[in-house]
Amino acid sequence: MSDIITVKNLTKTYTTYRRDSGFAAALKSFFKREKVTVNAVDDISFSIEKGTVCGILGPNGAGKSTTIKMLCGALFPTSGSIDVLGFSPARDRAKYVRRIGAVFGQKSQLIFDIPPIDSFAMNKAIYGITDADYKKRLDEMTGLFDVGDVIHKPTRVLSLGERMKCEFIMSMLHSPEIVFLDEPTIGLDVIAKNKIREVISEMNRNGTTFILTTHDLEDVEQLADNVIIINHGRKVFDDTLGSLRTTLGSKKMIDLTLSKPFAGSEINGVPVIAGEDELHVSLEVDTEQRSITEFLTSLANFSDITDISVRSLPMDMIITRIYTE
Amino acid sequence: MRYIKIYLTCVRVAFSQAAAYRTDFILGNIITLLSNILFPLVTVVIYANGAEFPEWSMWEVLLIQSVFSMSTGMSAMLTQGILWTTMDHIREGSFEVVLLKPLSPLFYLTAVNFSTGSLGLFTGGLVLTIVSASNTGADAGGIPVFLLLFISGTAVLCGLDLVMAAITFKWVGNSRIPEIFDSIAEFGKYPLGIFPKPLRIFAAFVIPVAVVGFFPASALLGRLEWYMLVAVIPCALFLAFGIWLYDRMIKRYEGVGG
Amino acid sequence: MNPVRQKFEVCKAVAFVTYKEWSAYRSHSLVSVFVGPVYFIVQYFIWSAVYGGVGTFGGMELEQTIRYFGVSALIGYLTMDFADWNLQMLVRTGKFLTFALRPVHHRFFALSQKLGHRILGFIFEFLPCFLIFLFVFRIDIIPAHIGWTLLSTALAFLMNFYVNYCIGMTAFYFVQAQGIRTVYQLLASVFSGVLIPISFFPGAVQWVMMFLPFQYTNYVTAMVWTGAESIGELGLSIPQAVLFQGIAVIATALLSEVIYRASIKRFTAVGA
Repeated sequence: MSDIITVKNLTKTYTTYRRDSGFAAALKSFFKREKVTVNAVDDISFSIEKGTVCGILGPNGAGKSTTIKMLCGALFPTSGSIDVLGFSPARDRAKYVRRIGAVFGQKSQLIFDIPPIDSFAMNKAIYGITDADYKKRLDEMTGLFDVGDVIHKPTRVLSLGERMKCEFIMSMLHSPEIVFLDEPTIGLDVIAKNKIREVISEMNRNGTTFILTTHDLEDVEQLADNVIIINHGRKVFDDTLGSLRTTLGSKKMIDLTLSKPFAGSEINGVPVIAGEDELHVSLEVDTEQRSITEFLTSLANFSDITDISVRSLPMDMIITRIYTE
Repeated sequence: MRYIKIYLTCVRVAFSQAAAYRTDFILGNIITLLSNILFPLVTVVIYANGAEFPEWSMWEVLLIQSVFSMSTGMSAMLTQGILWTTMDHIREGSFEVVLLKPLSPLFYLTAVNFSTGSLGLFTGGLVLTIVSASNTGADAGGIPVFLLLFISGTAVLCGLDLVMAAITFKWVGNSRIPEIFDSIAEFGKYPLGIFPKPLRIFAAFVIPVAVVGFFPASALLGRLEWYMLVAVIPCALFLAFGIWLYDRMIKRYEGVGG
Repeated sequence: MNPVRQKFEVCKAVAFVTYKEWSAYRSHSLVSVFVGPVYFIVQYFIWSAVYGGVGTFGGMELEQTIRYFGVSALIGYLTMDFADWNLQMLVRTGKFLTFALRPVHHRFFALSQKLGHRILGFIFEFLPCFLIFLFVFRIDIIPAHIGWTLLSTALAFLMNFYVNYCIGMTAFYFVQAQGIRTVYQLLASVFSGVLIPISFFPGAVQWVMMFLPFQYTNYVTAMVWTGAESIGELGLSIPQAVLFQGIAVIATALLSEVIYRASIKRFTAVGA
């Protein structure tokens, strides 16, 4: 397969000015300002194959959003080059944006007081979609998301999940070849998250390339073919999901709340890795060696537990792991 | 006694907030002042072109308008915040917050909404009143009656704020409601004699906006007429009506919510 | 599809959506139907009293002044604009990004929005007030020169838009762009002609106003509408006044393009 996106030595530097509070400081800064340079994205190179789903992962403030904004053409790179579909996104923006779709989780395109269907009709005109294409695409998308009724209700009465589904539809009506998603599942409940992931997979099978940023490891586990991890503006990992799994192993974090203090270093053979205090302990279970069910069953005879939760490894731990291994 | 204490505490909090955001406070006040004292410009232009309101000198007309500004500033400090707070709460569906306080809702809203942003308008109005008065044959003997009428006029404006706030319970999210009442208040900014009799009666006794600027200024100028003093009664009634209407809306809101 | 037709389709779709969006608030427009006539009544009696002692004032007769205030309010309903507020909001909340990623110039989008919004204003504010002025107050509000009046109203519509769009773009540069808006609105309330016709000001002020945007948003159009033989102390004829208005619109549109390019560079951080 051919590369649809090629990024070489991409760097983005922001210059901001330090600001102190107070009138005197404001007056002083008027004449002399202290420059602060921030490397939001620092010499990143990667390429993405056509027809894949690529997850860009990283903690908040790592440079994910800056990267995706440059890929969309909303930001010029400080240096380095980007080639998407043969375009230089920021320079060729006017032509380029017709070919892509973008959903920025926090920045709605829908018009608040009217039903999504009216906002869709507006994008139909903006992108110059023909009546036949529009109808076909709309039916397909509303069917996939199961929002046939929802799109006729005013946006303001929709739930966050319904709204997000409509944001997706709005950005994909013009059948873009590449879709950029910035934190597509943030703040959604499990059912809405799964639906959105399902649709992404479905559209991907039909040939659409997806690039998504997230700090939710689950998004990546369920969707991505390839994973790029960014931390402090630098690329720390760039390989297949399978390779990430091998690097990390299939590990889960189990948090226990106890009724009696516990000071040991392991529970039933699983090491205790951290804990706020002696009543809250966290365990790291390698599910390749031991299934979650088996381990949870073995906890039954550990009688002081008042609460229990199972989650993926947190982002910061993954990044430390990748650095150390 | 407890209510007075609470009110004073709230006023103190409002002022310490203003002190914390000094620049915003000063700029906000200047802008409010400027946007409210632009309309006397019309009067200045009229007299500068050699025309006049019959039987009124320029400074006399400016006195009416200065008193009007002072009264607007005063009422804005006292009750204008209630209007905006009510409007926001109703739109967001969060009016319950107010009902959860262990105080009369109306008192609570009045206390926490003391607005320092209109202090500049009040002070500016006061300065202009003094300047205008010193350029006319104003008589210090008129001050007691002036104060009585000034308080009555301010009561009308406070009553208007409450009526507007009450309307927002029904006409949700309409930020243009104040325009209606601002337009009615226009009748109080000019010598009442220029309007025909039905409008004069309306402005003096029905929605007594003439008491906001024109009547108190007349008292200072020694042009007091007996009917102006009678207008104190509809003023008190108007404020009472505002309080009653707002209270009623709260009761209905509770009925619907519960 | 040919580009002009495509533009027309976009404009139509955006205007329609905006119309629909705001028609939920059409009862709010009824406020204008009350407020407009009330202000007019006040103006009517003020100027009737003032003209009691003089025949003409600032070169205008009473009847023309009365018409001026009625017309000025009507023009407001046709040209009212909040592109400044809207753009500042988009920049402040970062939502401007979604426009950078759509194949449409935001200024064109905003102008189409205004069109939809003002169609609503035409139906729910302009028409009722026009009929009240004409049949209840019985003032002669029909333009003397329909063609010039339409042209001048269209120019006032554009003037208001471009000026406000420029003000909106200050949000790309300042965090507290709100202050600039307030100051402009303050000046506009005096010098656009809504409060007093500019011809009532001293000649020097009228002269300076020729070079500032304010009077082209309302005063000039109101004077054209009333069919003034000569406008202001400068004694402009109607075609001359409309010509100046046209020049002002073109200049402001060009200025808005210059600022827009610089703003977009700043937004996308070219070579920064």
